[in-house]
Amino acid sequence: MKKMILKKGDKGHLSDLKIGQRAKVLGIHMDKPDVRRHLLDMGITRGTEILIKKVAPMGDPVDIELRGYELCIRKEEMKNIDVEIL
Amino acid sequence: MKIALVGNQNSGKTTLFNLLTGTNQKIGNWPGVTIERKVGRIKELGDDLVDLPGIYSLSPYTVEEEISRNFVLEGKPDLIINIVDATSIERSLYLTTQLMELDTKVIIALNMADRLEKKGIHIETEKLSREIGTDVVTISALKGTGIDNLREVIRINKKTHVKSKEIFKSDIENEILKIRNEFKTNRFEAIKILENDKLYQKHQTAIVKNSRQKLEETYKMDIEEIIANLRYDYIVEIKNKSTKIKQVKESMSDKLDKIFLNKFIAFPIFMVIMFLVYYLSVGVVGSFTVDLVAENVEKFGDLIDQGLLNLGASDWSTSLVVDGIIAGVGAVLGFVPQLIILFLCISILETTGYMSRVTFLLDKLFKKFGLSGETLVPFIVGLGCSVPAIMSTRIIKDSKERDLSIMLTPFIPCSAKLPIIAMFTGYFFADNSGLVSASLYFFAIAIILISAIIIKKLFMKNSGTAFISELPEYKLPSIKYVVRDVFDKVKEFIERAGTIILFCSVIIWFLLSFSWKLEYGIKIENSILASIGNLVSWVFYPILGTFSWEAAVSAIQGLVAKEQVISSMSIIAGFTEEIEEGSMLFKSAAFNFFTPVSAYAYMVFNLFSAPCFGAIGAMRRELGSTKKMLKAIAFQTGLAWILASMVFNVGTFIVNL
Repeated sequence: MKKMILKKGDKGHLSDLKIGQRAKVLGIHMDKPDVRRHLLDMGITRGTEILIKKVAPMGDPVDIELRGYELCIRKEEMKNIDVEIL
Repeated sequence: MKIALVGNQNSGKTTLFNLLTGTNQKIGNWPGVTIERKVGRIKELGDDLVDLPGIYSLSPYTVEEEISRNFVLEGKPDLIINIVDATSIERSLYLTTQLMELDTKVIIALNMADRLEKKGIHIETEKLSREIGTDVVTISALKGTGIDNLREVIRINKKTHVKSKEIFKSDIENEILKIRNEFKTNRFEAIKILENDKLYQKHQTAIVKNSRQKLEETYKMDIEEIIANLRYDYIVEIKNKSTKIKQVKESMSDKLDKIFLNKFIAFPIFMVIMFLVYYLSVGVVGSFTVDLVAENVEKFGDLIDQGLLNLGASDWSTSLVVDGIIAGVGAVLGFVPQLIILFLCISILETTGYMSRVTFLLDKLFKKFGLSGETLVPFIVGLGCSVPAIMSTRIIKDSKERDLSIMLTPFIPCSAKLPIIAMFTGYFFADNSGLVSASLYFFAIAIILISAIIIKKLFMKNSGTAFISELPEYKLPSIKYVVRDVFDKVKEFIERAGTIILFCSVIIWFLLSFSWKLEYGIKIENSILASIGNLVSWVFYPILGTFSWEAAVSAIQGLVAKEQVISSMSIIAGFTEEIEEGSMLFKSAAFNFFTPVSAYAYMVFNLFSAPCFGAIGAMRRELGSTKKMLKAIAFQTGLAWILASMVFNVGTFIVNL
């Protein structure tokens, strides 16, 4: 199954984005409260702009840029972050 | 005054701490955990400064956050210095908003001011200070600027009374006020109660639940998200009023990451760097220094020996000084040059920011075993020597993973275990000695991975920390910082690990040199250690298929240094020097009971059982308590016994088929 590339205005998960794409956070849905809390603390709140900057050679984890700094996060966490492509 | 130093990781906190306190520091561990605790006296002011672990918020989910939270709430510091990285001010101020909810005055030390220009950022410090409501001092911990200002601001603010500011929308502030009045507490605790924080479950009254429900319905989000959002809204507002940012092109860090995180060359580069670390610290350079120290210690020992003899000292007291104490101290000193080199390598890797890239690179591979990428470094170093390897586990960020890594690192066959491997495989598996030796290494790796999975499943179910970690910018290491770092770590090793090593060496010397009647100069089979060996030989029965105090004593002597197993066996077999020829050893009366199967089993036992005193001492230092160290030793030796017994029994069964 070919993975489609999301375009501006599309909604999806942070894990769907390619390097260089930007998105706006719509929310985090997750049943692990610790992790969710950590993501909120690190600034992944509604309306935050995120840029996919780098990807590890093995495909995971991913380095994203937000709020003026870079954060490394695994795809499995990114799947729980709902975004809208910018 | 008692002052707390709080800030994010990578904010330059340690550098600032060193600048403020100079050499007036006491280093230890926070009670019961593997996390370093530093307290120092501020130069010229004399106040105590406590360095809290690097944290991003005061929520109670990691050990580091818990420690910091407890300290600011119960430790009641008189002042809080919040070090903020000026180049990532938006994220950094999140913690600041929480700190300013306490009843303690907070001073903001705005660090890395020197890097702002390169990033095209301009911060108006006075505006920021006015907007956020407290003193902001611009500093560069790296360059040492602004420190006098900071000291002055600290001095002026002794025992300043503060009133926390309201920063959220009025409907939320009303609820917070309600809770503050109900529990007569400060803003920080009121917000935690409102958020249904797990440490404030006893405070969840009807009023609290109502407040929360009301807000969650209004904002259509859960309360944690509401508060986090509002914090960041407030921060962005302040930032926009006081900061100007110019668009910058690709940063130096991005350019470097194109190389270090490149799909094709990232791993080769990593392996080269790891090889270099190994080569320098435990390979050729490291072992050269070990030999050098050993040589000189021996010469010194001979001198003292002569000297004491001339003075007419008794045989046993001379031996105590030379074979017990000097040998023991020599053992500790032997590790020092290696540790200096290792710590230098690690400090440089960490301060340049490359270590974060290592974790990023290896995460996918290691997460299957519940470990993080940094774990590889101790394992590689462990091929040379467990002592520096255990000390290098400090680079592992998660404290529970660090504990796990400390326990498992000694399983890697270190270079001291090579004589054992060489001797046994050379004689019993002559045609396949290379293969059999290699099998032991693979066996070790397999056991490490399996142990990691099992221990994680059994004891660390809830600490599944997702990998969410900041990727700092590449920086040039500060020589002053690196030298200071290495010096501190080596000093700690000598103080905390060295004492155990010396103490235990003397004890073994005593048990080996004396009989129960306290006669000196007896044959080894009459020593106290030999009778202990006899008592313990039943433990070795399932491993060897026979009772042998000789094998037991040799294994116990392995606690002093693993190389001593072979030298001990040589002496017991009746030779005065260490044997090179396996046949001489295994044809002797003492050891001719060995079969290929029991040989392999005995090797397995020695490889996995409690490591040498040096490594035990290092474990004690890194684990932070003697109790934990004993647990680790029990785990390792217990596992060694189980594995060795299994190997012997299964092996014998197969051979007899």
